[in-house]
Amino acid sequence: MHLPTQLSALLLVALPSAVRAVFQDEVGHIDYHYELLGLPQRETTFFHKPRRDDKASLLYTLSDVGVLGAVNPSSGAILWRQLLNGTITDGGGFLRAGEGQNWLASAYGQSVHAWDAVNGRNKFWMDFAGEVKDLEVMEMTENNRKDILALFDENESTVLRRLSGNDGRVVWEYMETSGDVPLQVSTNVEKVFVISLRGSAGAYNLKVTILDALSGKREDELVLGTKADVHDKDDVILVGANSAAPIIAWTDDTRQQLRVSVLGQKTRQEFALPADTISVEIHAPHIVQSQPHFLVHSKTSTGHTAEVYHVNLRTNVITKAYQLPFTSGPGAFSTSSNGANVYFTRITDEELVIFSSTSDTVLGRWPLKTTESRLVALHGVSEVVKKAGTDSYAVRSAAVTDTDEWILIRNGDVVWSRPEGLTGAVAATFVEIPESENLAKTLEQEAHSNPLEAYIHRVKRHLEDLQYLPTYLKNIPTRLMSSILGTEVSSHDVKLARDTFGFHKLVVLATRRGMIYVLDAGDHGKILASKRVFDLPTGQKWAVAGIKADDSTGIVTILGTNNDETTVKILPGTSFNIEVLSKGPEGSPATQSAALLNTVSGPRLFPVGLDGELQGLTSDILPNQVAVVRGSDKELKGVAIADGKQTVSWTFVLPKFQRIVDIAARPPHDAVASIGRVLGDRTVKYKYLNPNTLVVAAVDESTKIPSLVIYLLDTVSGQILASSKHEGVDPNKHIECAMAENWFTCTYFGQYRLRDGAQSLKGYQIVVSDLYETDKPNDRGVLGDAENFSSLGPIDAPGDVPLPSVVSQTFILSAPISALEVTQTRQGITSRQVLAYLPENHGIVGIPRMVLEPRRPVGRDPTAAEAEEGLIKYHPAIEIDPKSVHTHERDVIGVQKIIAAPAVVESTSLVFAYGIDVFGSRVAPSFLFDILGKGFNKVTLIGTVLAITAGVMILSPMVRRKQINALWGAPM
Amino acid sequence: MTDLKPVADPAPRWVTDLANPPPYKSKPASIPDPPGYSSQAVSGPSKKKDVSRAAPREQPSPEKMDQLKLKKAWEVALAPAKNLPMTLIMMYMSGNSLQIFSIMMVFMAFKNPIMGLLSTNQAFERFETDSNRGSILQVKAAYVLMQVLALAVGVWKINSMGLLPTTRSDWLAWEVRREPLEHAVPALSL
Repeated sequence: MHLPTQLSALLLVALPSAVRAVFQDEVGHIDYHYELLGLPQRETTFFHKPRRDDKASLLYTLSDVGVLGAVNPSSGAILWRQLLNGTITDGGGFLRAGEGQNWLASAYGQSVHAWDAVNGRNKFWMDFAGEVKDLEVMEMTENNRKDILALFDENESTVLRRLSGNDGRVVWEYMETSGDVPLQVSTNVEKVFVISLRGSAGAYNLKVTILDALSGKREDELVLGTKADVHDKDDVILVGANSAAPIIAWTDDTRQQLRVSVLGQKTRQEFALPADTISVEIHAPHIVQSQPHFLVHSKTSTGHTAEVYHVNLRTNVITKAYQLPFTSGPGAFSTSSNGANVYFTRITDEELVIFSSTSDTVLGRWPLKTTESRLVALHGVSEVVKKAGTDSYAVRSAAVTDTDEWILIRNGDVVWSRPEGLTGAVAATFVEIPESENLAKTLEQEAHSNPLEAYIHRVKRHLEDLQYLPTYLKNIPTRLMSSILGTEVSSHDVKLARDTFGFHKLVVLATRRGMIYVLDAGDHGKILASKRVFDLPTGQKWAVAGIKADDSTGIVTILGTNNDETTVKILPGTSFNIEVLSKGPEGSPATQSAALLNTVSGPRLFPVGLDGELQGLTSDILPNQVAVVRGSDKELKGVAIADGKQTVSWTFVLPKFQRIVDIAARPPHDAVASIGRVLGDRTVKYKYLNPNTLVVAAVDESTKIPSLVIYLLDTVSGQILASSKHEGVDPNKHIECAMAENWFTCTYFGQYRLRDGAQSLKGYQIVVSDLYETDKPNDRGVLGDAENFSSLGPIDAPGDVPLPSVVSQTFILSAPISALEVTQTRQGITSRQVLAYLPENHGIVGIPRMVLEPRRPVGRDPTAAEAEEGLIKYHPAIEIDPKSVHTHERDVIGVQKIIAAPAVVESTSLVFAYGIDVFGSRVAPSFLFDILGKGFNKVTLIGTVLAITAGVMILSPMVRRKQINALWGAPM
Repeated sequence: MTDLKPVADPAPRWVTDLANPPPYKSKPASIPDPPGYSSQAVSGPSKKKDVSRAAPREQPSPEKMDQLKLKKAWEVALAPAKNLPMTLIMMYMSGNSLQIFSIMMVFMAFKNPIMGLLSTNQAFERFETDSNRGSILQVKAAYVLMQVLALAVGVWKINSMGLLPTTRSDWLAWEVRREPLEHAVPALSL
């Protein structure tokens, strides 16, 4: 059934139940979702029993993207997640759990929170003025309640607060305005120790302030060591957790000596580290009941080793107990305690070994059985269980590998692995699977020869293709069955090839940790390949300046900001093959963005320097191209390129007190089905379809309440085509714009006034503007029927400047939205949807363009002609309808960007969202009008046909007999 | 019982019935014969001649005949016009949406006049004589005019249904978009 657009528009309004983003049977069929946490951090990951009497423990982590979550260690499934900061973070944060407590304490930025360990519900959330520097749980308190110690750095002063574990109330507060750098906090049974750095950068002394746990009164202050022997705060390795004898350990900056002191003592002991040590880690138990033993893990460039030390509780003397053998290759250690017993687990690339802390005898040893070639664990946590009645042990370790995966190894077997490296994605693009090179060549050859030859060639080619016929025929029954029963053909033996509908595309994803992933959008987002492109030092991130996909060759080029370039080549064939070539990074960041310029040999990416100058220009660049680059923070420049040279052709400078917050351009593939809009009276309003336009959203902070100014620029001449101002806008909330066809839309948080003028409210708003050639119908504006136009062309009269006529309308949104993107289809016939992420609802919504229509009649019902056009009465509020949420019941967190790509079928647009979670789906804004949905019941159809056939076969002899009898029967 | 005897009369009953029809039953005198069917008429052909002779039909003169034929021809020529008001009302009633009823109406509105136009000569063949050829031509012209009028009603109908490409929007698909001479590339950070 193909309804005329106006009728379907009416249907849309009349039948809200029909407007559904996803049908139930499509869930998991058209969409896919990676529910991710991010890479677990070493300090904030542990096994913990959520209930005191329960035997089963869960795996908790606060990841490097700011997600706190609980994972079932036996299946790897996420039990609950919380995004602490509301958005993606760069690591940091604290997570602690009190032994036997059913809650977790976490801290990030300026807030301290507690969560129910079983279901992840928030217990309390306290915001403070300073930044949290450390967090500890007090194991022993006077009233049998475990409290939280939080160390803050508030304007150069150190503040330690003891918060009640029940409700987050401040029990006592200790403040010190000495100007020392607060570092960590630790506690033993009756004392609290605040460790801070005294002195100046490069020559610090460790200062330990001892406080009374009950009252928070200062009891003593110690300065460890006489000379300033702490070079940097990273040299302090461990301030030892809640053991019976907490220690503090630090090294010199050349990593030659380890200095350890038991907290509360003035003495310190020095131990020599193995030669060539590059980094040191200390693993100590976190429970008071455990023996005060700790392990020093020293890494060299070739291998690693470990030493175990014991602390004598009475004399506070630290002695070396034993040393583990040096092993070449990487390795990870983890601690597990069971009552007083402390176990150390060592994961090397070959085996998993557990030791007791008392002696170096091996308690258990399991070779690693992995499917992958080599497993490199970076750090991990483990849980050792002694099997009842026997001398054997079982161990499970959750480890982070060098390929950004989180795996669980149980007795040497990899039980599950989570692709946590997909989080923190910075760029992604859809790319077509390249057709086999031969076919592409042949098609090109056919296109260039004369029709007769081409025809003969084609017939020959098709005859040759007959050799594949038997295989094809052989596959028909399976395909038929899978088509009827709705099952899917397993993709293991199917080669990587395009499908008829164009759903089978690949997504190349680059993450900030320097990994490249290739996902198969046609097969539930399966990870086809992952590769580490760059080994980035901690703290450094891979920033991508530009990404470009060449659909015909299957080559994705990624330009980074550090002079690096990565090429991902997808080769067609029976077993997919992905090549990654990369160079760089080198030097300091030198690239701000990348310009996709047309050259003789097709479009190519050129880096744009920080000063806005294009680099590496060649002479084969096609003429008449202008690249729009950022100058300073409030400046846009148009750079004209000719003969490999560049000249600044225009500069757009914002007025004083204005700064750019977002820029949107039309997507590169922006098919326009019709150049005009047919009105109800069958006149035409011509769309202003200038591809060289740009929307610049700027915040004007010249007044007390900032306002938002939206400019529409012509990017060839730099001229302002239109501008609008929205007052009372909050610049700290999402201000984003999107542009497509002849319209653009921006969302912001701002002030609005009710119609009676009495009340002024604030709310999330979306403004949408349509651009037309003129405001009169049947008029193509000053350019008339000209076949082409130039923004630089001379004009005869002042009124002859082809400026668009803008129609705008603003709507109030019921929820904030971000990451705006417009759906794209092949021909642009299908109506569009504005896709946006809902940061508070954790979903992706599709707002139909029909709702975001600036020409909706205000304050009156639409006339018959307007109704025929599909215009509905303006209503200022747009409710986020749960039925229009494409992610339906899925909890998609931290989406930073949404990308859309057209499929071969016109109705459908492929959508991919990345950030923390990865989500992909297919969106059909005008419903699936060109293919059968999954709800089409083929079984019933075939059953009906079969039943009718059977009926005919049974009935036809009967009828024939009756007819003959009737002919022969005597007339009565 | 006696033995079976061969059938005395070999002819079947229906043959007998056919040969000897049942005797004519005289009808009661109270029921009059239907007009033109006197019960005596069938008795013999001689009576029929009497009737024709009793009411002799006067043959009209050729001029009168022509006049009559012309009158008849005018009637035929104006017949389509008589249908027009009805057609108009029906078309108005059927609305401008595309439904099976209005589609059939429009189809008929075109089919009838066109068929009528094509069979103009046949329609007036029987009225045409050597003497009235001139005036018949006028009639034919009137007939054609009427059919064209009916056709015009059909055209009006499809126009009001929006099927005639008379507006700008109907030619929109053939209008091309203006191509820019320059090409600008936004090179802005992701």
